[in-house]
Amino acid sequence: METIQRINHYTAYRPRPFTREERATVTILFGGLTWKHERLIQGVMHNLGYRAQPLPNITRADLDAGKELIDVGACCPTIFTTGNLVNFLKSEVAALGRDEVVKRYVFLTAGACGPCRFGQYHESYTMALDGLGLRDFRLFLLAQNQLDQGATHGGGLEINLPLSLGLIWAILCADVLTDLEYMTRPYEVVPGETDRVMRESIEYLYDVFRRRPQEKLQGGKLKVFAWHVLTDYFTDALREVRKRWDTIRVDRLQVKPKVKITGEFWLQTHEGDGNYNIKRWLEQEGAEVIPPPIAVWLDYLLHSPITSEEWKGAERNRKKIALIRALEHIYHFVYNRFRRALGNLPYELPDQEELKQLAKPYYHYELRGGEGHMLVGKALYAYRHKKAHMICELSPYSCMPNTMSIGAMANVLGRYPDLLYAPIEIKGDAEVHALSRCQMILTEAKRRAQAEFEDALAKTGLTVEAIRRYEERYPEVQRSTYRIPHYGYAGTAANYVMHLARKMR
Amino acid sequence: MRVGIPKVLNIWSTHQFWVGFLTALGISPENIVFSSDTSEDQYREYGKGRGTVDCCYPVKCMSGHYGELIFGQKKKIDILLSPMIYSLPSFLRGHVLDTLTCTRVMAGPENIKAGFLKERDVFAENGIRYVSPFVSLGEPEKVPKQLHLALKDVLDLSEEETVRAVEAGYRALETFNQRMRQKSREILTWCARHDRPCILVLARPYHMDPGIGHEIEAELQAHGFPILWMQYFPIDEDLMHWLFGEEIRAGRIKSPFDISDVWPSSYSSNTNEILWGAKVAARCPWITCVIRFSSYECGMDQPTYTPTQKIVEASGTLYFKFGDLDATKPAGSIKIRVETIVHYVEKYSRDIIRRKLAALPPRCPLLEDAASTSESAPLAA
Repeated sequence: METIQRINHYTAYRPRPFTREERATVTILFGGLTWKHERLIQGVMHNLGYRAQPLPNITRADLDAGKELIDVGACCPTIFTTGNLVNFLKSEVAALGRDEVVKRYVFLTAGACGPCRFGQYHESYTMALDGLGLRDFRLFLLAQNQLDQGATHGGGLEINLPLSLGLIWAILCADVLTDLEYMTRPYEVVPGETDRVMRESIEYLYDVFRRRPQEKLQGGKLKVFAWHVLTDYFTDALREVRKRWDTIRVDRLQVKPKVKITGEFWLQTHEGDGNYNIKRWLEQEGAEVIPPPIAVWLDYLLHSPITSEEWKGAERNRKKIALIRALEHIYHFVYNRFRRALGNLPYELPDQEELKQLAKPYYHYELRGGEGHMLVGKALYAYRHKKAHMICELSPYSCMPNTMSIGAMANVLGRYPDLLYAPIEIKGDAEVHALSRCQMILTEAKRRAQAEFEDALAKTGLTVEAIRRYEERYPEVQRSTYRIPHYGYAGTAANYVMHLARKMR
Repeated sequence: MRVGIPKVLNIWSTHQFWVGFLTALGISPENIVFSSDTSEDQYREYGKGRGTVDCCYPVKCMSGHYGELIFGQKKKIDILLSPMIYSLPSFLRGHVLDTLTCTRVMAGPENIKAGFLKERDVFAENGIRYVSPFVSLGEPEKVPKQLHLALKDVLDLSEEETVRAVEAGYRALETFNQRMRQKSREILTWCARHDRPCILVLARPYHMDPGIGHEIEAELQAHGFPILWMQYFPIDEDLMHWLFGEEIRAGRIKSPFDISDVWPSSYSSNTNEILWGAKVAARCPWITCVIRFSSYECGMDQPTYTPTQKIVEASGTLYFKFGDLDATKPAGSIKIRVETIVHYVEKYSRDIIRRKLAALPPRCPLLEDAASTSESAPLAA
C-alpha cells in the first residue's frame, strides 16, 4: 500500500462563482420537466436577460451514461437525469473543448426536498462531473419552497420574485395546455393535429413569457405579485391559444378508458424514454390519459406547512396559517383563471384537504418524501369522483416513498376491490415487463368504459347513428374546445352521450 | 396491560425512550415486550403472505416482527405500538439542516399494517389495539402533543402525564447513550494506551440487529479487534477539540459536528451520522479500519457510498464495504472477507496510527485518560 505522507481531507463539491458579469456569455442549463414546461421556462429566463437552454429530452442512452458514472443502486430518475447532463456535456466538450464548456455553461437543478434522496441528486451530478473530469463545471441548486432565495454564489443568477413567479406561471400555463392536449389527441379526427397545434401554442406562449413587460417586474414585491395575479396578460394569451385549438375536430364517440397517471414526480411528469413513453403508449393502446399537473405538487408544497403551524398553536402561527390559506386561495384563483381562459376544459385542482382526509386511514399526511399521502389520496379521489377508470402509478425501481404508498394501497384495495390500480415499477430498461403489466389492468378498464357507454346509451335511448346526425347539424360539439360536463361517468364517450341527450331534448 | 413493540428500524436507536416513556406511565418493564431479533424463521413463521410490496429487507422484515407479537406470544399483548418516527434526537441536531428519518423508515408502519388489514382486521381478531403514533423525536417540544393525541384513548392519558412520561423517556435515552459513549471512550483509551487499532462500524442503527447486519463485526471482534459503532462514538469536548479543533480554527467547519464540508444536503439523520462517522474515522488515529454496512436497495445509503469511502481513505484509513445485505447471511463470503480485512488491519495499522497521530495536535486527551485509569481489557460498544 502506498504510504500517504500528508493528509488532505476530503471536501464536497463547491461550485466556483457564477458572476453577474457572466450573464451575457454563460448559458444556464436546466431540465427535468416536459419540453412544454421547459420552453416556457426558457421564455421566463430570456425575459430576465439570462441565457438559458433546456437539456435535450431524455433518451435510453442517458440511462447507460448515468449508470457508468454514479454509485450503484440509484433510482432511475437520478440515473436518467445525470446521464442526460453527462451526454450533453460530452457532446459539447467534443464540439467546443473542455475549457470552453466549463466557461460557457452552468447547470441549475432542484434540490432541498428533505427526507427523500431527491434532495441528494446533486451528489450524483457531482460524481458524474468528477468522472468526466469536469469538477470545475458549475452546478447550482434551486430550493423548491422559497420564492425569494436571493442571488446564487457570485450573483449570476438571482432567484427573486420576477423569476420565481415567472417560473410558476409558466408551469401553470404548460399544465393547463397539457390537460387540453391529452383530452384532445385520443379523439382527434386528423392524426397529428393536436401535436401541431400544441407546438404552435407553446411557441406563442414562449414569446408571451419572453415579452413579459419589464416595467411590471420592477418595484416592490407586492406590486410584482399583484400584477401577476391580476393581469390579463397571461389569460388573454391563453384565450388566443384557445382559438387555435378550436380548429381541431374530435370524435368523442370513440370509447376509451380514462387512465390517471400518478407516481413519483419526475416519472409521472416526464414524456419520453425515461418512463417508456407510457402516456403515448397508453394512447396507442386506446386510452385517454389524465396527465399529472405539476400544479398539484406546488399546491401540496404550499399546503403542507399548515400542519406544522397548527401544532404550534400560538397567535403568531394562526396568522401564518391564515396567510398560507390566503396564498392557497390566490393560487387556485390564478389556476382557475387560466382554466377559464381555455374554456374550463383543463381539470380543476383537487382540494388538498380532501386528499389528506381520503388518505388518512391509510397513510399519514405528515409522512414526507416523494408525494407523501397524495398517491393514496389521488387514487381515492379519482375513484370516488369517477374521474378515471384506472390509476397508473409510475414508481422508479427502489423509490423509497413510493414503495411505501404502494404497500399502503394494499389496504385501500382491500376496502375498494373494484378500484383499478396499476403500480408500474420503472427501471428504464425493462419496458416489456412494465407495459404488459399495465396492459392487463387496462383490459379491464376498457371493459368498464364500454359498459359505461352502453349504459349511457341505454339510459338516454340514444343511438350512435342519432348522435352522428346531431353532430352533422351542430358541428361545434365536435370542436376540441367544446366542453363536456361530468355526468357521473368516468369515460368521455359516456358523458358525451349524456350531454347530447340533454341538448337534444 | 402488555405493550408489544416491533424491534425494527429506528427502534434500535430509540428503544430506551420507549421503555422510559411507558415505564413512567406505570407499565412495568416485564409488560413491555420487544419482538426478537430478525431472522428468516421469524419471517417465515409469522410474516409470510403479509408483505404488500418488495422493498429493502429492514422494512420488509417488519411483517415478521408484527406477526411474532400478534401470534407468537405466550402471554398476549394488548397493544401493538409501532411508532412512525419522523425525526431523531441526533447529537448532530443544530449542526445540520435536519435530522429526519428515511422516508421508508418513517412510513414503514403504514406499509406493514396494510398486510394485516387488507383482507380482515387481524389486530382486532386477536384483541390487540394497533397504535402507530406519528412522532418527531428530533423535536422534543412536539412529542408530548403527538403522543397524547395518539395514545390518550388507548392508555387513558392526560396531557400532564404524557409530558412527564416523555421527559422520562428522553432522560432514559440520554442516560443510555452517555453510558454507551463512555464505554466507547474506554475502548479508545485502551487502544491509545496500547497503540492498538480498533474498527469503526458505519451503519444504520438496525444493522445492530443480528438478522440484518449478520454480526459481521462480531467475526472481526473474534480476531481481537475492538469494535466501535459510530452511533456511540464519544463526543466529549476534549476529544472533539483534539480531532477537529484545527479545522474549526481554519474556518473549514463551524463545530466538530458540522458536516457541511463533506455533505451539504444534511437532512437525513442516520445519513448525517454516517458521514460524520466517516470524518471521525479519517481523523482518529486508532480507528485504522472502517466497515460499512448497507442493506440491499437502501436508497438513503446509495448516494453516500463514494463520499464516505473518499472521506475515510483520504487519511489512508482502511475501508471495507458490505453492501446489499439481505435476509440470507452469506457466511462463506463474510468469512473470506473478514480474513482479508484482518490481514490488512494487522499489516497496516501501525503505519496508519503513526501517520494520523502526526497530523493531530500533540496532547491527546485519550492518553491523558490512560494515565489516570488502570489497564483493562477492551469491550465492544
